[in-house]
Amino acid sequence: MKKKKSAGIALDASEKFVSGLAYVLMTLFALCAILPCLHVVSKAFSKGTYVTAGLVNFWPKGFQLETIQYILFQTDFFNALKNTLIVTGVGTLISLFTSITTAYPLSKPAFRGRKVITLLYVFSMVFFGGMIPAYMVVRMLGILDTYAAMILPFAIVQFNMFIVKNYFEGLPEIIEESARIDGAGDLRILVSIVCPMSTPVIATVALLYAINYWNNYFHAMMYTQSPSMQTLQVYLYNLIQSGSGYLENMAGGTLTTNITPEGLTAAAVTLSIIPIIALYPFVQRFLIKGITIGSVKG
Amino acid sequence: MKTPPATALTGRASPGAVLAKKLTSFGNYLRQHWTLYLMLIPGLFFLFIYKLLPLYGLQIAFKDYKIFAAGDPWSAIAASEWCGFEHFAKLFGSSQFTKVLTNTLVINGLKILWLFPIPIICAILLNEIRQKIYQKLCQTLIYVPYFFSWVLIFGIFYSLLGSYGIVNNIIASLGGSRVGFFSDQSVFRSVLVFTEGWKEIGYNTIIYLAAITGIDVTLYEAARMDGANKFKQIWHITMPGLLPTIVLMLIMKVGYILTTGFEQILVFYSPAVYDVADIIETYVYRIGMGQADFSLATALGLFNAVVAFVLIVGANTVSKKTLGRSIW
Repeated sequence: MKKKKSAGIALDASEKFVSGLAYVLMTLFALCAILPCLHVVSKAFSKGTYVTAGLVNFWPKGFQLETIQYILFQTDFFNALKNTLIVTGVGTLISLFTSITTAYPLSKPAFRGRKVITLLYVFSMVFFGGMIPAYMVVRMLGILDTYAAMILPFAIVQFNMFIVKNYFEGLPEIIEESARIDGAGDLRILVSIVCPMSTPVIATVALLYAINYWNNYFHAMMYTQSPSMQTLQVYLYNLIQSGSGYLENMAGGTLTTNITPEGLTAAAVTLSIIPIIALYPFVQRFLIKGITIGSVKG
Repeated sequence: MKTPPATALTGRASPGAVLAKKLTSFGNYLRQHWTLYLMLIPGLFFLFIYKLLPLYGLQIAFKDYKIFAAGDPWSAIAASEWCGFEHFAKLFGSSQFTKVLTNTLVINGLKILWLFPIPIICAILLNEIRQKIYQKLCQTLIYVPYFFSWVLIFGIFYSLLGSYGIVNNIIASLGGSRVGFFSDQSVFRSVLVFTEGWKEIGYNTIIYLAAITGIDVTLYEAARMDGANKFKQIWHITMPGLLPTIVLMLIMKVGYILTTGFEQILVFYSPAVYDVADIIETYVYRIGMGQADFSLATALGLFNAVVAFVLIVGANTVSKKTLGRSIW
């Protein structure tokens, strides 16, 4: 009895309290993250009159697919999706290639020139010339309004390269050494030994790049002008901003009562969420691993 | 007895001999590992063009950049006339500058103040959920918004917070007046802080959760034996275990205080809230791309880059000294 008193609140009571608090608060946070998405998705599938009247909460009311169909077939959605897929796909491959080929030599302690080149990457990471000089370079190269403008400036992100490099540095030497004795060269070792041993970090960094390319709004907007080059983010932003104006310009007399400006925004948002949610289980597994792998040098 | 070589007596060889020796050994290394140097080329190529070449363009901050000063806009950089610190003088003298600098510090400061502790609490609480499936479910759900772009988040919250959105409908039904979340200067910053939290809390929680997982479980068992209740366990075991991560995250947040938040604000703001939301980089974008005043915009960008550089390097040094951890 005495011992319990001296400990203040009893062990059992404190455990129950903290665990209760954990369940309540974490459920609230989880709902807070997911309900806004659910609301927008519900709006996208609800009857126009209910949407305008504000009667839709977290489940579709008066289910319809016209708004989604309108976004898919009457707007530039597919073209924007195509552009985003090209930029993300090609960009991720290029970035992955440059990051791995840069990280490997820099991860070798004996590599001559390692310090100077590493310093160059660090310096360019913390001192950035700014958006106007960057824009001037892209303009000088004559790649404004092309896919190249949305890919090449991000072909190597120093931070991601360092994640790969840190991982390479942690790999055991012995396996590489024995391959060397068997006569394998550096390139051969990288391709057939180091890369297969590094799949977790390569997957993580590929995802980091892919997310950057997929979500990039600002550079896509700044480096392209023609409507045919719109990426998904630019398309979505323009659609949200123009709101009802978009409807009047695009639709003419073909509208039904189901299609409202609010519903259209919701439908476009919904269609943009779907690819992310579809890939989410895969994405989150690797990114959680990635956080523990190499984001911070130990 | 042999005479020792000259190097042993003087402590060094002649500079020429050292250089020659270094060169031959480098030559040998190069012959053996030339593929390693070949591998560096793609990365260095992109680094040079897209990260280092812009540094050359920085000179227009000290020039009166005229786009038609030469045949093409790039040659015009060299051809334009020097004007010293004219743009900086103009900049530092303007009330706009004070405003955007204040906004940058206030908005990012508010974000740190309100949002920094939340992921720590979340991680501790998540760790207390004993049913692993439910823990995983909560963790998965709060992590989702991290993968959304700012445009997508704008779309979601536009739908939620618009004049006739669900939130305003609730306010109205309770008898309040509708709030212009995106146009009212008194609430816009709160919208920025809230949506930032909505996007980032899950991600940061997982970082702390990973740190908690690294704490030795036997410490908790020993504490239980000694009669320490849950609060004491959290305070005396979990918190000290988390401290290095907390300090590191805080140092980095402060280091990046001038350079974060650009895309969010660019997407969310409108002229109605420029007074409270215009930050350095959005202002750079508007004077550069909007008003085509490249020199002034570059000057402001350069100022930002230099201060940010000092802050980030400082943050990294502090982190290295206090924690032995650095970001590079």
